[in-house]
Amino acid sequence: MNRISDAIVDLHKMDMEAGKCGWLQGIHPLPKLFVTLIFILLTVSFGKYDLPGVLKMGIYLIILFVLGDISVKLLLKRMKAVLLLVCLVGIANPFFDREVMFRLGTVTVTGGMVSAVTLMFKGIFAVSASYLLMVTTSMEDICYALRKMHMPKMFVTVLMLVYRYMILFLKEIQRMTDAYTLRAPGQKGVHYKVWGTMVGQLLLRSMDRAQNVYDSMTLRGYNGEFHLRCKKRAGGSDYLYVFVWSMVLVCVRMI
Amino acid sequence: MSILEIEDLSFTYGSLRNKAGNHVLSNLNLHMEDGESVGLIGENGAGKSTLLKLLTGLLDMQEGKVLVSEFEMKKENLNKIRTVIGYVFQDSDSQLFMSTVYEDVAFAPRNYGKSEEEIYEAAMSALKKVHMEDKKDRQIYRLSGGEKKLAAIATVLSVGVKLMLLDEPSVALDPKNRRNLIRILNELPGAKLIASHDLDFVYDTCERVVLLSDGKITADGEAKKILTDKELLEQHGLELPLSFSRKISF
Ligand SMILES: Nc1ncnc2c1ncn2[C@@H]1O[C@H](COP(=O)(O)OP(=O)(O)OP(=O)(O)O)[C@@H](O)[C@H]1O
Ligand SMILES: [Mg+2]
Repeated sequence: MNRISDAIVDLHKMDMEAGKCGWLQGIHPLPKLFVTLIFILLTVSFGKYDLPGVLKMGIYLIILFVLGDISVKLLLKRMKAVLLLVCLVGIANPFFDREVMFRLGTVTVTGGMVSAVTLMFKGIFAVSASYLLMVTTSMEDICYALRKMHMPKMFVTVLMLVYRYMILFLKEIQRMTDAYTLRAPGQKGVHYKVWGTMVGQLLLRSMDRAQNVYDSMTLRGYNGEFHLRCKKRAGGSDYLYVFVWSMVLVCVRMI
Repeated sequence: MSILEIEDLSFTYGSLRNKAGNHVLSNLNLHMEDGESVGLIGENGAGKSTLLKLLTGLLDMQEGKVLVSEFEMKKENLNKIRTVIGYVFQDSDSQLFMSTVYEDVAFAPRNYGKSEEEIYEAAMSALKKVHMEDKKDRQIYRLSGGEKKLAAIATVLSVGVKLMLLDEPSVALDPKNRRNLIRILNELPGAKLIASHDLDFVYDTCERVVLLSDGKITADGEAKKILTDKELLEQHGLELPLSFSRKISF
């Protein structure tokens, strides 16, 4: 299996996990999206040196990962590129901010070091919270919740289409690289001489597929808007979910 | 009552005036009755898919007249026409794009502004017709080729179309799935226009067959009569269905 088919399988698996019948999956998407947003906003709102504060917010992630039975290993595997990127954001801080904050034995810890680590954790927490939402909620449901929160129609439609077309695009890449490797045994990757043709072909083919999908949508009455609806109805446990988490998160932020 | 009426339909990829253009259909005439199953046969490149795409409005009309139910094929009628006519793609993967079977089947009724109960009813009744109701929560990518085809048919049935166009429905199906599809198609009440060069499949699903060649319908008649006409078929690059060629040679 190559990296592309891994990516496709991962996307499908995440969709499937979102459709499982755990308690977290069973919660209405709107409360989940709402709590996720509150969590991210509150986490980001900590001061740039407030590492202990940010770390306290981790309680939310720990509880949901444990109770929702969600694998941290998979999170690391699937999101490693994004997580790496997030970790690199603050990497230059120690060079600019050299003010000494405190000493740990013989090591002087500067403001830059603390702020870099704080930023890193803010990023990791935000990514993990988004991941948590994605593996427990299907893309349709997330988009539905976004619409309910008055996110512009255009934005949600684009999000939905990008997600659908991404899978088509990946599949097309896979089909082409498979066909290539089968006829070019022993080669590592694609020879640079055929890159041009491959990319051109890929573009044409993906456009063709995208056109087919678009045709299939217009034939079935699509006219610029996904009519998203949610099968679940918000019930007592959903309100409770929002209430409890809002209280907990705000309290953690305050103390 | 007639469900489809095609008069002098001509079509060229590019433009009609363009002499070098690829003239695919020229002055084609066809008439179909409500509830009729018609097989559309013809060799590769005869223009079968092109005709089906014209009938759904995916390709723009150039010359001629098409009446679907009582609606004339025009831009402003397209929305109405598309609740009467349904198109099942050759490649089910391009037809299905939502994450689960139910979501995909519910897509069309949703776009026509039905209530959630009506949508559920329409989707479930469509799924029942293709015997897929127990797979409604399946992820699309976990379906087999045969199941995808059935799901694709259900997505069309969920708006209650009266005429279903199927492009090469039997391609890439194993014998068991193929038999299953034949049985299900024969159970469906609406009219069907089935484009295929699997002549056995056509014989098993259609009572009438039309032969497309040189951009026209060159033969039209009872399935048995046309599909056993060895000379006619060979003239147009087709071969007798296996079931007949066996009977004849033994
Ligand atoms: N997008 C296009 N642009 C230009 N020419 C096209 C296009 N699509 C099809 N054609 C040409 O139109 C003719 C009819 O094609 P069409 O796909 O309708 O045939 P078909 O009967 O469905 O064939 P098959 O049995 O192989 O599916 C062919 O000669 C084909 O090369
Ligand atoms: Mg075709």
